[in-house]
Amino acid sequence: MGLSDALAKYAVDQAHVLLVELPGHWLTRVAAEQHIRERGWLPVSTPANADVLAVCGTSGPEMTAVVARLWDQMPGPRARVEIDAPHLAAAFDRAEAELLDVGGQQDDSRSRAAVPDGEPHRDEHREVHHGGHHRGGHGGDGKGGDTDQVGRAQHAGMDHHEQGGQGGNDDHGGMDHSGMGHGGHGAREDQDGMERHEHDRQGGMSHGAMGHGGMGHGAMGHGGMGHGGMDHGAMGHGGMDMAPAGIPLAQGGEDRDGLEMDVLHLRMGPVLPHWPAGLVLRSSLQGDLIVDAEVTLVDARLPCDQGDVSYPDVHHRAARRCDNAAGLLALAGWDDAASRARRLRDRLLTDRDARKAAEGLARLHRRIKRAWLLRWSLRGVGLLTEADLARLGLPGHLRGDTCDRLLCMIERATADIAGPDGGSSGASDPVSIVKVCDLVRGLDIATARLVVASLDLDPLPAASEVAHA
Amino acid sequence: MPDTVTTVPAGWALAAAAILGLLATFAAVLDGVFTARAAGAGPSGLTRPFGELARLMRQRRRTTVAADTLLWRIGSSGLLFMALMIVTVVPLGEWTLFDLDVGVIWFNAMDVLAWAFVWLTGWGANSVHSLVGGYRFLAHGLAYELPLMFALVAPAVAASSLNVGTVASAQADLWFVVWMPVAFLVYCTGVVAIAVWGPFTPALGSDIAGGVTAELSGADRLVFQGGRYALLAAGAAFAVPMFLGGGAGPVLPGWAWVLVKTVALLAVFVWLRRRLPAFRPDLFMEVGWLVLLPAVLVQDLLVAVVAAWRA
Repeated sequence: MGLSDALAKYAVDQAHVLLVELPGHWLTRVAAEQHIRERGWLPVSTPANADVLAVCGTSGPEMTAVVARLWDQMPGPRARVEIDAPHLAAAFDRAEAELLDVGGQQDDSRSRAAVPDGEPHRDEHREVHHGGHHRGGHGGDGKGGDTDQVGRAQHAGMDHHEQGGQGGNDDHGGMDHSGMGHGGHGAREDQDGMERHEHDRQGGMSHGAMGHGGMGHGAMGHGGMGHGGMDHGAMGHGGMDMAPAGIPLAQGGEDRDGLEMDVLHLRMGPVLPHWPAGLVLRSSLQGDLIVDAEVTLVDARLPCDQGDVSYPDVHHRAARRCDNAAGLLALAGWDDAASRARRLRDRLLTDRDARKAAEGLARLHRRIKRAWLLRWSLRGVGLLTEADLARLGLPGHLRGDTCDRLLCMIERATADIAGPDGGSSGASDPVSIVKVCDLVRGLDIATARLVVASLDLDPLPAASEVAHA
Repeated sequence: MPDTVTTVPAGWALAAAAILGLLATFAAVLDGVFTARAAGAGPSGLTRPFGELARLMRQRRRTTVAADTLLWRIGSSGLLFMALMIVTVVPLGEWTLFDLDVGVIWFNAMDVLAWAFVWLTGWGANSVHSLVGGYRFLAHGLAYELPLMFALVAPAVAASSLNVGTVASAQADLWFVVWMPVAFLVYCTGVVAIAVWGPFTPALGSDIAGGVTAELSGADRLVFQGGRYALLAAGAAFAVPMFLGGGAGPVLPGWAWVLVKTVALLAVFVWLRRRLPAFRPDLFMEVGWLVLLPAVLVQDLLVAVVAAWRA
């Protein structure tokens, strides 16, 4: 085993980490990012490229399901840790040891299926539903977890989260037949973070159009048991393969030019880098254009988990601004400036030298102002006039386009550390997440991500705010 | 420098591949160092590509539900193939593997393949994010491809030949980069674009969870990412006979000059990545058609007039 041990050692020296930030735990996430970097590890944006899954905070039932799916999508060797700020290093040491344990990883690999399939993921479902029942059985909310950002899951057997108790399937029945709206609860949600979601919905919608009444609703709507049902549907349609691998094809809709175009349903969040933690945007896409959107918060019905959300300290507030700016810069593809903003953020959190921080902020501000290429690329993106702000009830600092808002973030951070005389930003009204869907409708994904990042949101509380656009 | 190039036996292809591999490794090391320096903490980044190699070799290959596996694998390994094919026509001083009469067209034929390979990688995974990434690449392609083709026309017209060796030796007096800078810049833009590098990374953007690479793991990811570095290196190497005078230079032998110039241009490409924000595909479309294409056509016209006047 000499060679594979050596390979493992070398590989683990720069493990890649998928960070899952739970609402209210952004400081933990920031500390984890710092720690990862010091170790020489790298944060990544997709489970396909991750060796370690690090969950910042304690997850509620919905989030647990999401995390379970992400875990399932990781190729392995893999390790998973829950972290909280004081015990960061210990947690990552544990992950490292787990990754280095060649035997253990081989066992893990053997216990998983080689080929992903559409089988229902019973553990996961049980978990979601249990959660629901414990909290008073809102089982029909149809939000069961298919909320990760990535496409297909691997369908491997899950060897963790063993739970007793059956009855997951009964739950499905109850939920799935409502078809469209709650499609997310189908068993097929195991296959895919988002396209599946689309298909669930489409399944619900499509049977009418296909006019195969008996089979239609039965087979598709109850797609909870999905796989079989879908295949059946496909067979019923003779040569037309309406459901390759148990996933029905997307249905068309009129696009903005009045042409027929496939509609795809995509969930963005809650695990998405540079995205407000806990925010879930369910969007309908034509091409990569968002034609409709709906916003929810993950685990919204839980009693508010404060986490480390309260940050009265001005340095923390300024650091949050820098974190938001770093996210926006990273989305704009300017890696150097994003690294700089992140370093500034870390300095604000660790070292309390206001003067040095102000200098750093001024330098970053100048640099962004001089970057004509960045200004050109963000020019006019998500332009908000006074009238728009008043109509949407947004705070004044969001005026202008995305580039103006980026500069404003730095200015607000500077004002924060300058103290009350500098006109601290703390007093401004929080941006209601409900507004997000109004802002992103009609934009393509890239622009929508930029606009959401430019809103300079404070950490979202786990409030029960739900909106439909 | 000699006016003709010697075709070496096919066995030397291995040496060419090894040189390409070394150049790609150099690019990866350099990128690792720049990234580590910007992060301001942690190790130097010198060993990052090697650790990444070990990590991806150890990682399990992953598939997705209803993936179009064949096309997916073809796409993800395609970039490396393209790079290898491109270097076959690049003369290393006086030696070349493949002294093709239409070597310039050969490069063009290879770079167009990027459209298919990158898009197929996005398509094959059967996942929304990677497909969106694939289409972002095509949108960039619509903007960079024609300017790139016309940029390659300029040296060929000036040398009155499509043979890469002849183009290189036509620059004995004056390098083409000096009197056709627009064509050179547009060519560099095109190379960076086919390698999905720098400002052309929206196809792999973090806003869509890695886009085309969102579902790649293990060996597939290794080959795709390695292919990007190799393409960047091959593009830099091809620029040397086309614009930078081939093996011309004092003291050192021709092959050494080719390598030195390649490494220098490659280092600039790598350095650019972190310095520039991404070109959003919709905006770059305007630039491609309204700025780059007219500019490079004017360049071609000037070169043609000069060539006709000389003749």
